[in-house]
Amino acid sequence: MFCSLRRVPLVLLIILVLLVSSACSRAGQSGSAEASAGSGRAIQNKGSDTIVNLALAWAEAYREVQPDVSIAVTGGGSGTGIASLINGTVDIANASREMKESEKEEARANGFDPVEHLIAIDALAVIVNLENPVDRLTIDQLADIFTGRITNWKDVGGNDEDIVLVSRETNSGTHVYFLEEVVRKGEKDNTDIFAPQTLLMPSSVGITSEIQRNPRAIGYDGLGYVSEHEKMLEVAKDAQSPYVMPSVATGADGSYPIARGLFMYTAGEPTGAIADYIAWIKGPAGQQIVADLGFVPLTEE
Amino acid sequence: MSRQQTQRLASVLITLTAVLVFVPVIVVIVYLIWQGIGAISWEFLTQPPRNGMTEGGIWPAILGTLILTMGTALVSMPFSIATAIYLAEYAGDNRLTRTIRMAIVNLAGIPSIVYGLFGLGAFVLAAGFGTSILAGSLTLGIMTMPVVISTAEEAINSVPQQFRTVSLSLGASKWQTIWHQVLPHALPGIITGMILGLSRAAGETAPILFTVAAFYVPTLPTSIFDQTMALPYHLYVIATQVPGMPLKIQYGTALVLLLITLTMTLIATVVRTAVRRRRDW
Repeated sequence: MFCSLRRVPLVLLIILVLLVSSACSRAGQSGSAEASAGSGRAIQNKGSDTIVNLALAWAEAYREVQPDVSIAVTGGGSGTGIASLINGTVDIANASREMKESEKEEARANGFDPVEHLIAIDALAVIVNLENPVDRLTIDQLADIFTGRITNWKDVGGNDEDIVLVSRETNSGTHVYFLEEVVRKGEKDNTDIFAPQTLLMPSSVGITSEIQRNPRAIGYDGLGYVSEHEKMLEVAKDAQSPYVMPSVATGADGSYPIARGLFMYTAGEPTGAIADYIAWIKGPAGQQIVADLGFVPLTEE
Repeated sequence: MSRQQTQRLASVLITLTAVLVFVPVIVVIVYLIWQGIGAISWEFLTQPPRNGMTEGGIWPAILGTLILTMGTALVSMPFSIATAIYLAEYAGDNRLTRTIRMAIVNLAGIPSIVYGLFGLGAFVLAAGFGTSILAGSLTLGIMTMPVVISTAEEAINSVPQQFRTVSLSLGASKWQTIWHQVLPHALPGIITGMILGLSRAAGETAPILFTVAAFYVPTLPTSIFDQTMALPYHLYVIATQVPGMPLKIQYGTALVLLLITLTMTLIATVVRTAVRRRRDW
């Protein structure tokens, strides 16, 4: 031990020099998406937790198509993905909402125009515990429930019990979409917010497990995350409209009122491996995976 | 109550408290082994995940954690040992030394998520390393430094003063004394501290969250600029993000992570005990 100790600093010094020199060479070429993808490095794909399992399935399947392209998938939420795209640490951001104008401006300030790619449709299912007798709600009732104006199930035809609200946290694109389209009913000047007692869950799976446990809870989740252990409600746009059960079919034909696009964003028009990957996702093979996971595939037009 | 009764009561209560501390550890370990041992197989340890991570193994996450642990050691060891030598052998009791000591104490108290955010700002963004093994290792390395510095300093201080006096009296320089007398005798203690620091780093999620960890990568990392999967983050992901994840795989993953950190702690304990017993001073 005592003799070999003599060589330790030399070895450490060499390793440090290697680390630093390779670090410098990388720092020089950081930033642009093409540089990183072309050099055999993994395509970095980050963002929405709604899309993360879809992105994982695509990345897994794409190995068969292009064995030399590796796609590193990370979750964290739509906001996280978009922020990473803006500061140049990912090649593709996943978002379950559209990029805000303020975010686009930040991107332009960093020297690129974000390009949007619609990659799938997601029907947002409103879910309750299997024991809950309520079957259907209108958007107005949902808005009243999630803002706390209705606090008892008996007001919407259920048992005389308090309503427990379950939502995704604010970083989630699903949260933002539900807030804008359901809580605020799509009205631009509406400033309603989720009731303060709403439980904010860190993931889609967190919502489903809370719903399974709690007979008084109501929540929302992407169709792909709902199983036979939760009960989906039929939703109507207003009291006059028909109540529609969320499904791939009603999401695709537009009859279900709470359906939204899922997006990928790139820094500028994608080129090379990234462009091929997104084209494959939008193609039949990629869209088959969308359907397999319970999301709504893009239609031909 | 008589004095004897008070005495007996006190000793019973204190013993009970000590046992209570011990119980959760045993329960966690036994429960994890009971639930997770069924998932562990050669395939589980050597194969990548398949079919949306609900099948296959966790090899990329195990490898990622091992690589990150090694990277952490490379970053933290040279700086920590150098600092410890400075503090133990060179530093006088002046303002600079006191500031350094205070910084180390404060570093030890910083929550790991703050290290994660620091790593994101400093290494991922400012230094331009991107989300990569390099950024993650640097972050974890800095996080482990306080532990390693204080144990290394303690190890150096525990080398008897006479060793230095004798070495210096034979004409050796201060550096020769440190290099040939102090460090060899302090090395086992330093290694123990290092391993303890690394076992903490191996189990941390927050510092790697923004700096290196990936939800899923289909290939093993080929350079220090790649993202990698890592066990603690993988465990978080499969427990919270993946629908229909078999419980067995979750418990199996937790068990593997626990075994890795426990093994490291065990090695550290064995090294320390062995050295204490062999010590001839």
